[in-house]
Amino acid sequence: MKGNKIRKILVVILAVLMLVSSAAGCSQKAGSGAKEKVLAIGYDQDSDIMDTMKTAWYSDALIYIHDRLVTRDYEFGYQPGLAQQWDVSDDGKTWIFHLRKDVKFHDGKEFTAEDVKWTIDTIKDPDTASPFSGDLDAIKEVNIVDKHTVEMVLNYPFPNLLYNLSATASGIHPANAYEKYGDDYGRKVVIGTGPYKLEEWIPGDKTVLVKNNDYNWGPDWMSNKGPALIDKIVLKIIPDENSRLMELEVGGIHILRNVPESSVEKLDNNPDITVHKRPATKLGYLAYATDKEPFTDVRVRRAINHALNREEIIQFVLRGIGEVAYGYLPPALKDEYLQESKDLAYEYNPEKARQLLAEAGYPDGLELTLSADNSSKSSKLAEIIQNQLKAVNINAKIQLYDSAGYADMLREGKQELFIREYSWSNADIIDWFLLSSRFPYPNHSRWVDDKSDELITYAAQRPTWDERAEAYKDVQRYLIEQAVWAPVYIPMHMIAVRKEVKNFKFHPWMLQYSDGFDLEVE
Amino acid sequence: MLKYIAKRIILMIPVLILMTLIVFAIFYFAPGDPVSRIAGPNVTQEVYESIQRKYGLDQPFIVQYHRFIRSVAEGDLGISILQHRPVIEMIKERLPVTLQIGLLGFVITFVIAVPAGVIAAVKKNTAFDYLCMSGTLLGIAIPTFWLGMLLLYVFAYKLRWFPISGDGSLRQLILPGFAIGLTNAAITARMVRSSMLDVLKQDYVRTARSKGLYEKAVVYRHALKNALIPIITLMGLRLGWILGGSVALEIIFSIPGLGRLMVDSILSRDFPVVQGAMMVLTSSIILANVLADILYAVVDPRIKYG
Repeated sequence: MKGNKIRKILVVILAVLMLVSSAAGCSQKAGSGAKEKVLAIGYDQDSDIMDTMKTAWYSDALIYIHDRLVTRDYEFGYQPGLAQQWDVSDDGKTWIFHLRKDVKFHDGKEFTAEDVKWTIDTIKDPDTASPFSGDLDAIKEVNIVDKHTVEMVLNYPFPNLLYNLSATASGIHPANAYEKYGDDYGRKVVIGTGPYKLEEWIPGDKTVLVKNNDYNWGPDWMSNKGPALIDKIVLKIIPDENSRLMELEVGGIHILRNVPESSVEKLDNNPDITVHKRPATKLGYLAYATDKEPFTDVRVRRAINHALNREEIIQFVLRGIGEVAYGYLPPALKDEYLQESKDLAYEYNPEKARQLLAEAGYPDGLELTLSADNSSKSSKLAEIIQNQLKAVNINAKIQLYDSAGYADMLREGKQELFIREYSWSNADIIDWFLLSSRFPYPNHSRWVDDKSDELITYAAQRPTWDERAEAYKDVQRYLIEQAVWAPVYIPMHMIAVRKEVKNFKFHPWMLQYSDGFDLEVE
Repeated sequence: MLKYIAKRIILMIPVLILMTLIVFAIFYFAPGDPVSRIAGPNVTQEVYESIQRKYGLDQPFIVQYHRFIRSVAEGDLGISILQHRPVIEMIKERLPVTLQIGLLGFVITFVIAVPAGVIAAVKKNTAFDYLCMSGTLLGIAIPTFWLGMLLLYVFAYKLRWFPISGDGSLRQLILPGFAIGLTNAAITARMVRSSMLDVLKQDYVRTARSKGLYEKAVVYRHALKNALIPIITLMGLRLGWILGGSVALEIIFSIPGLGRLMVDSILSRDFPVVQGAMMVLTSSIILANVLADILYAVVDPRIKYG
């Protein structure tokens, strides 16, 4: 009887042990599956098509799917990418690119000069209607010298080609991708040579990238030149700002780009999250239609500049997170930015503003409209500017537009005073917005001025980068003197990162997830 | 009956044509076009115009409208300007999840509203009735999107029972389903109650009671059947509300449904997509009303369609 009982107990114990061990085995299995490192990033909206050549609104996924001939390091310097090296002729009009020989596309095809030629020719082909084609205007033709050498012949010297070739839109596609993949290209298939491959794209929902195990051609400035450490990247679309922040807090996403100023304090107090802040390559400014009365008078333009209390604006609109702007370029563009912008520009001085207006023949002030897009940031900005202008006797009526309507209104030239923020990491933004050949679009401030044209064209066509940078400083000096815009603020580029993300490195332009970023998984 | 249904469906055609004409005209004459989105802020006028030409956006109204009508007739509802693919394909991807949320909301609405309304009517002027009626007042006053945010905050963010943003699972539907269900239940419950009260005053109810029937049989077998007739009409009308309400919810809950497709397309001026989505919405509202009319005849033998 007793022995029987003991036996029963033994059986039970054994059974429990077996269960436990099998459960442990299970969890081990589950554990090895869960070890896949999946990094999730939150975005507010998706792109419409996964093709750098067909839209200006491309998905960040394309940064990691494609490689470019030229890369930019953490200091914003130009470095070799798919091109190992390049030589520029003395007149600056012939560029020879020596390509890497060890690179393969995601579909196994070898990367050659033919792919470079096809990509650039396709962008420039009017039938593609690529929004990027204008950026490659300088290129006259692309010639294949041999399998791994490409020659680009330019219409005029153009050192900024480096910038344009390092842009996301210059990602190299395999030759004849459109013929080979048809309508699927840019939807279900995108082929590049980058550290990540497209696994799945559900428009409006998410993009899943999986790492390219063959990748070992990372640029020299990266610490990791081989395959990425993170297995998958999920770009998740979460349209509502509050939902994005909640997902970050609970760990549903690891990285949030473009953190709103209003949430910084809360996120800073969260021990699981670090908010990285750097001055952005953006500029917020107040502009005016310079071809219309009263803005044709430089005294009025200067008066408006004197009327703005920029510190107060940054406190009110950006909660103090941002920097005062006096120049026409973001200071983050170290080479080109005119350091003495602040000393040359117009300090806050309402008394002087009123005096200038009186001199210009408006002693009783002005009645104007102030246009802005209807985002909460812009409407707040419009309100405070309206207030500050009122103090110098300029009564501005605020007019708000949705973003598509705003662009249209500017193109039609209905604006008087208007608010803009540009986001661009190159001095050629000045060409875009202020050359007379860009009138009326995108030259919204309707600035048609021979001296500007001369200075800008001279700068853009210097044969070397350093000469170009110096020449752009003269452009800025002149623009400040003419008070073409009233620059207001430089916002902060803010990226919130959860503690699970290891080896995070802030890249001024685009995060380089393949450069040793790692993810801690439970 | 069949003839009636056929007639109603044929009548849909002029309604749809009128709708597309109005939507098309709004997009044609309103400021902004999809090229601004394709082109981004920094393109030259020449590139801008070349993109406009490529998508035929430089053509006059009548040419563009004709092209759209032709594509509808061909069955693909046109090609999205931004996504370069047939609109019908995009709608097929987005519609199921919107319908699932709507259906769930619909079920929750009636599961809550009918019993609550009936009991409140039967127990008129009791504590339960007052509780129900003040509850419904609250439900009517709360906008669907706000309730959605509240549910998201409490059940997804604080308690973590549900995903914050859509993860493609069925679980993602529950909170938006409740947000729709609860707000719609409020107004429906009030309708059920008042309709029930009307019916309970009728002679045949008194007859049924004087026959000595159990109160339960009186209420559920005799009164409820008749009280439901106006509710069926309401169901048909609410469908439009439910589909419309899911627009805001799809944004809050990050669910890529038809509502979000429509909002995104409106903002980027991708009008073929807006047209397509509007056609689906309009047709489903009309069809829901036809269905309600048919149900009428089923529930109430006095109603006949010649």
